[in-house]
Amino acid sequence: MKLAPLSVPYRALQKASRLAITLVFVGSVGTEVGFSSALVAAGIGGAIALALAYEFAYYRRYQYTFTDDTFDIESGVLNRREREIPYGRVQNVDISRNVIQRLLGLSAINLETAGGGSTEAAIRYVTADAATTIQDELRRRKRGDDQRRRTGAEAADSAERDSTDGDSEATDSATTREVDEPNEELLFEISPSELALAGILSFDPRVPGLLFAVFTGLIPFVSPVVPEPAAVATTGLDPTLVLFVMGVVLLVGLVVLSWVVGAISAVVNYWGFRLTRSETELRYERGLLQRYSGTIPFEKIQTVTISDNPLKRRAGYATLAVETAGYAPGQANDRGSEAAVPIAGHDRIRRLAAEIDGCETGGFNQPPKRIRRRYLARYLIALAGVTGLLYAASVSVTRLAALPWYLPLVGVLFAPIAAHYKWLHRGYRRGTNHLVTRNGVWNRETKRVPYHRLQTVIDSRTLFQRRWRVATVIGDTAGSLSVLGDDAAAVDIEVDDAVTLRSELRDRLRASLADRRRRRTDRSAATRDTGATGDDTSREESVETTTAETERSTADTKQDDRRR
Amino acid sequence: MNALNSRIRIIWVLRSLVGALILGGAATGITVYRSASLSIPAGLTALFVSLGVVHAILRYRNWRYVVNDDALYLERGVFTQVRTEVPLVRIQHVDSRRSAFERLVGLASTVVYTAGSRGADVTIPGLTPDDASDLRERLKGLAIDADGEDAV
Repeated sequence: MKLAPLSVPYRALQKASRLAITLVFVGSVGTEVGFSSALVAAGIGGAIALALAYEFAYYRRYQYTFTDDTFDIESGVLNRREREIPYGRVQNVDISRNVIQRLLGLSAINLETAGGGSTEAAIRYVTADAATTIQDELRRRKRGDDQRRRTGAEAADSAERDSTDGDSEATDSATTREVDEPNEELLFEISPSELALAGILSFDPRVPGLLFAVFTGLIPFVSPVVPEPAAVATTGLDPTLVLFVMGVVLLVGLVVLSWVVGAISAVVNYWGFRLTRSETELRYERGLLQRYSGTIPFEKIQTVTISDNPLKRRAGYATLAVETAGYAPGQANDRGSEAAVPIAGHDRIRRLAAEIDGCETGGFNQPPKRIRRRYLARYLIALAGVTGLLYAASVSVTRLAALPWYLPLVGVLFAPIAAHYKWLHRGYRRGTNHLVTRNGVWNRETKRVPYHRLQTVIDSRTLFQRRWRVATVIGDTAGSLSVLGDDAAAVDIEVDDAVTLRSELRDRLRASLADRRRRRTDRSAATRDTGATGDDTSREESVETTTAETERSTADTKQDDRRR
Repeated sequence: MNALNSRIRIIWVLRSLVGALILGGAATGITVYRSASLSIPAGLTALFVSLGVVHAILRYRNWRYVVNDDALYLERGVFTQVRTEVPLVRIQHVDSRRSAFERLVGLASTVVYTAGSRGADVTIPGLTPDDASDLRERLKGLAIDADGEDAV
């Protein structure tokens, strides 16, 4: 099958525009060298013509086909490339469309496979219908493939069957018949008020960094505006005060700007957010200018995180994030966690989370009360440090003499409250199937890790923790967000509890793995007996089995990678 | 519980020596530039070296590892004491490696990789080359027995 014909002019213009920008830049800079505007125009025209020719050749060469076991892509004008991607390896199929693409009726597809963070195949621009067909077809065949592997039925007979043209739906026998159209169930749909709230509560921390990068280049232009001490002295104003006021104004402007940018980008990103579930995966759709849709297989979900802060708690709202393994959604763009529900009513979030990971709710075991003194001491030391630094600055730099260095000391009043809340929010629970931990003074995060997702269990005690006879137990998972060191951690629990927790986590991991393995063998035995039609068991079970299967295929891919 | 080979202390001392010499060199540069007495950088270097030696000795004393029937267990750390359990089912692959310093004193390390994000690679230093490859083979065997299907 081919790409969309409209992809030729679109891709050509995309390429040519990049070249044109360079040319215009060179033209505007190099006027003294003698680049006339006619030359620039000719260059742009030539570039477009070249790009059109190239893209036409690209379109002619590009060919994707569904074979029995693999998805094949042939591409390349100068460098030819043929790829075969086994269906079993395909993990995510994402479709995205921006405004222009939507006007032209084009869609971009990204295929993700396990192992390696980068996108395995990017199909640049097929028609919208074809994109959905590819997504559905890949999912259908992947499931058929998984099931065939499970039943152990060899695909030898199907080798002759040639189903290269994708519209022939009469592909496979019993394996695909039962996995056709997945019945999707709507889990979550963002309401306008929630979207508005998500916007209001969003603050884009990247804006100050960006502005800083821009403005450091502008310092030579700004410095004349800053009043000279001598000039200010004649007006009778304190130069430090002027600087201080300017700084405050700048800071407030920065915060407001970050907030506005954050609000707009949140609304644009989460416009029309929908989360649905089928038997084996979560599907999401969102975006105003650029429409994203994608799937998250349940077997890739590692951790479910619910977070809130005092404002959200008071208003009865919370945020939900689903962490997956390997596939890093944040790769060089601003999408963040794929299945994050930005904000929704607390009860809704709780029901949704339970629907996703089936974890029960309950109380928490808290750290010992004496630990609050440690937190208080920590806050006081930090405050003293900041105050000391400011004081030193005000003494040693004459310009800063009027600096109100004692201002941070106001924090002393809040330190006991913060220390209390730090202790109050901390806790862990050993659920039936999950380790649940909670942390955070302001932004309170509750993480739920299924026992069978634990990787290593780490028990650490710093010098100070040993003095207070407490320890931290971390349940490490293969989640992609955890690279920031945000694992589920039971912090500052009694040493004895830590030892118990550690050994218990190990035992439960072993038990739950053994349980899953047993169920898997039972299942495959059952399927073999009934001839691949025993799919009337509960959804939970079938999810579990497919999970295990895909895990095996993940492991296979990893091995392949290593061999390469 | 197994202790490390005592020669590992030589490696750790050597490493801290390199660090101390770099710091000492920088300090000497500054004092020469400001034409102050050389006793300060000399004293600093001596302090760093002695701290490095004490740290290496304590680190060696606190290092313990053991391969249980379902997990690899490590205990280490001077200031922050860390105890790590690596379930054998979670082992992705095992390396043994020898750095230049290690070859100098005839030692090797074994590195255990999991899919986790934090304790992603667990290093056991201070093994003789034979021990390191034995441990690697043993862990590999145990990991296969423990069923590698559940690695992620």
